[in-house]
Amino acid sequence: MAEKHGHKHAPMVEEISDFEALEIAVRELAIEKGLFTAEDHRKFTEFAEHIGPTPAGRLVAKAWLDPKYKKLCLEDGIKASLAVGVDWLKPTGFGTPSDYTDLRVLEDTPTLHHVVVCTLCSCYPRPILGFQPEWYRIPNYRRRLVRWPRQVLAEFGLVLPPEVEVRVEDSNQKCRFIVMPMRPAGTEGWTEDQLTEIMTRDCLIGVTLPKPGTTTNLKLPLHRAVNPAHH
Amino acid sequence: MTSRNTLKPPRHAPYPDALDHKLFRQWMRTPHDVGGETDVPIPWEETEDEQWGARAYVTCECLAWRGVWCAEERRRKQNVDLGNAMYLGLPYYGRWLLAAARILVDRDHVTLTELINKIDEVKKRHGKK
Repeated sequence: MAEKHGHKHAPMVEEISDFEALEIAVRELAIEKGLFTAEDHRKFTEFAEHIGPTPAGRLVAKAWLDPKYKKLCLEDGIKASLAVGVDWLKPTGFGTPSDYTDLRVLEDTPTLHHVVVCTLCSCYPRPILGFQPEWYRIPNYRRRLVRWPRQVLAEFGLVLPPEVEVRVEDSNQKCRFIVMPMRPAGTEGWTEDQLTEIMTRDCLIGVTLPKPGTTTNLKLPLHRAVNPAHH
Repeated sequence: MTSRNTLKPPRHAPYPDALDHKLFRQWMRTPHDVGGETDVPIPWEETEDEQWGARAYVTCECLAWRGVWCAEERRRKQNVDLGNAMYLGLPYYGRWLLAAARILVDRDHVTLTELINKIDEVKKRHGKK
């Protein structure tokens, strides 16, 4: 296990973990048996290393600035993704096998706030939002968000007045969601880039709201990996 | 349960006639169907993904890309078939990885012996005693 203090990890024993050994074994066997090629794996890895939340943030920013584009976002999230550089058919030609190609953009109103969960696993619009945070994957968030949404949101610092309805959208294998919050006050005259910066991953999941001056996710303690992934 | 059962020694499971519709539904519940279960608040944290996890994810996607399985089959193997203890106890990508290992064996692409020998060879190659 990695230590929890955030400084650089110094492993006590120079040996690979059971998971590392199994990962290498499975990957090498699959390639040796011709189930996929090393080039497939390399190509998909390159794709996976370059996905992140910025395009989804830009989609919302563009929609705030352009009512026609906003309409497209609400009607066809996949088509709207193209304008922010995301082609859901990449990298295989038919998309990533696990994410499918159906993106719904959930529009908040003064009396309605959306927040996204996947109670059965951790479905997430990876091509436009990158990889899920671990807290989105674990049973605790999935158990409690659908039962006590206001309380869970409050734990993320988002306290909503009772007149605002909270709608929890449960992702599923065929359909993925991002939240389009209302454009916050104090952003009048802002450029698309400026607006994109405040649309963080947390805002797109719906556990926080965009705020001028806040361009990062909620500051949470970080558990470091022993050998971190590159994404 | 009827009161006559409470006087008998405990059984490993209810009598068939004691499984009403509600209990039957409970037993059919899959490990990953956790929505709405009770739990206590926990301190939220960010967790860095391990490299092996990211690679296992890509391996699973490549297996689907090239038609070895589809995402539904992967989900069943990694979320349902493992059972409760493994579902709750293994890391997120640990379950992906196990599902990938299982599909290779279940589809006869490799034998269990081949897999075990390969794991041993990998461990030796990487200096594990």
